[in-house]
Amino acid sequence: MADDRGTSTLAGRIMGTRVWQSVFRHGYPETDLDRMSTMFTNFFLHLLPAKVHPNCLRLTYTWALGMVGLYLTIILFVTGFLLMFFYIPSTGWAYQSMKDLQFAVSFGLLLRNMHRWSAHGMVALVFLHMCRVFYTGSYRAPREFNWVLGVLLWGLTLFLSFTGYLLPWDQLAFWAITVGTSIASYPPWIGETIRVLMLGGHTVGQGALLRFYVLHVAVLPAVLGLLLAIHFWRIRKDGGLSRPAGAPGELAVTAGHERPFARGPLKTYALMELVGGTSPMVGAQAPEEEIPSWPHLVFPLVVLFEVVLAVVMVLGVFFNAPLEELANFTHPPNPAKAPWYFLGLQELVSYSALVGGVVVPGLLILGLMSIPYVDREAEGEGIWFTSPRGKRVALWSILATAPFTVLLILLNAYMGVRRLFTEAPQALADLLNPATLLLVGIAAFSILVGWRTGSRRLAAIALFSCFLSAYVVLMVIGTFFRGPNWDWIWPW
Amino acid sequence: MPNAGPQPETPPSEGSRISRRLLLGTGWCGFLISTLGPALANVRYLFPNVVYEGPTQFKVGRAEEYPAGSATFLEEQRLFILHDPEGFRALSAVCTHLRCTTGPFVPPAGQWKEPYSRCPCHGSIFAKDGRVLQGPAPRPLDFYRVSLAPDGRLLVDTAAIVGKDDIFKV
Repeated sequence: MADDRGTSTLAGRIMGTRVWQSVFRHGYPETDLDRMSTMFTNFFLHLLPAKVHPNCLRLTYTWALGMVGLYLTIILFVTGFLLMFFYIPSTGWAYQSMKDLQFAVSFGLLLRNMHRWSAHGMVALVFLHMCRVFYTGSYRAPREFNWVLGVLLWGLTLFLSFTGYLLPWDQLAFWAITVGTSIASYPPWIGETIRVLMLGGHTVGQGALLRFYVLHVAVLPAVLGLLLAIHFWRIRKDGGLSRPAGAPGELAVTAGHERPFARGPLKTYALMELVGGTSPMVGAQAPEEEIPSWPHLVFPLVVLFEVVLAVVMVLGVFFNAPLEELANFTHPPNPAKAPWYFLGLQELVSYSALVGGVVVPGLLILGLMSIPYVDREAEGEGIWFTSPRGKRVALWSILATAPFTVLLILLNAYMGVRRLFTEAPQALADLLNPATLLLVGIAAFSILVGWRTGSRRLAAIALFSCFLSAYVVLMVIGTFFRGPNWDWIWPW
Repeated sequence: MPNAGPQPETPPSEGSRISRRLLLGTGWCGFLISTLGPALANVRYLFPNVVYEGPTQFKVGRAEEYPAGSATFLEEQRLFILHDPEGFRALSAVCTHLRCTTGPFVPPAGQWKEPYSRCPCHGSIFAKDGRVLQGPAPRPLDFYRVSLAPDGRLLVDTAAIVGKDDIFKV
């Protein structure tokens, strides 16, 4: 498959050398077989299938959310490695090295900004990706375990963000460690031990900074890399991206496959015979319904990377990552607010640390992981909201949960346990607060939906939509309606 | 074995015979123990035996420096020195909710009929005897033991938590 476009040009001559050909086994692919062969023999491209179903390329199906998440991860690794050359994880030097990065290091500010905005983007993108996978029913068999891995990756993303914003050793960092490790000390029996383990002692200081640094730059990225590898490997082994059954021919036309490709001299399915086990072709109606990944998948992915990188760089140029004052162990800032993605949690923690910080998040993670094992229906996979009815359930769940959440919080503000009985035991305050009532309300509602409709999928849609709505409402309340001393304020 | 090949010429005697199950079981147990042991050692390793943290006892000055009826906030030590007619007490300023520093005591206002202190992080409100008036704090603020150092200054021990009726008289 040597490139015979002539050796007259410089490029042609370079590509004709033995060295070049020892690195790249293919010239520019001309036929479908060449294209698939390139996908197959290139280390980086072989992450992707040689052929894809046109449905995977529909932007309105995936919104490319997972891929953008991966790209942000790559940007985070690269900018993170570079930041490590100047950052010193010591309580005396950490803040100084942040100032150096801001004012003395060439492009240090830009790299830090890019790292920060990519991290924020990743938190948002991973969550949106989870919503996409949920609403298209893509967690169904055989992809149940990949959904579980995805939930773990979401948790890992949040933990990476948390450990990351502790490192500048500014006010946000110090009081986030203080509050975060105190939440970790709430589980009965083992809580205090966990706190000592996280802090490397009993007070927030050098030991804690070093531990969170090692978690942030070594342990968590390694775990993330491993889980991501399994996540991607499972996508391929579970038959590629989910898709609806039927009518793929029409989809192939809409995906821009009108132009016929010259076929190679060999049968294309010979490629598939090289790999044992379940291949990406599983579930495909016929090989002819899939189109070569090169160029239909690879080219958009390259363009997408350029777009993601450009957006992150523009954000990095125009918006500086915040850096608060140097850590002051005597006083938290007032108000002491977490980053936006944790403000919903902070709102819940402000009613009860045990319930809002430990019980609800724990149940939430377990509940999300168990979704594919509860909803084992097969219909409607690969279709947004499964059916028009599913869309209505999702919409009503989202619309109804928002005022319900606000109502519970107002009720607590005027008639909360501590309002009515100042001397009430803590157990009562833990049992009756917006967090627990919200949890009970959402669970009861989705069980009701499942019972009335007889569909576990609809019950799951109700549960997930309520959770989504409550999460966003709590985040908005924590961000805009809480002021100094965590008092109510109007955002205007 | 139904389709046996050549039989061993001398079968091992019954006494020295180790069953396949026993051999493999012992092997697996050995493997698990030899893996679990180092794993537990690694966990234990992460708990430090020596920490370089500040002292828990410190002198907070002479009794005369605190006017009668005052609640003085000591920033560095994160505590209040309360000087009541009965004597001295040291009230922790570390919120029992999530360990933020609660604010200074302000005079009674609005619904609060006594001086109160507010925590900036999650809105807990405390009275001068440590009681929780409002908010998520699960228990009252701690009192630390107050004593007199040999040089005549007050000594506070944050490692020694006492009841709110434990008042130090000078």
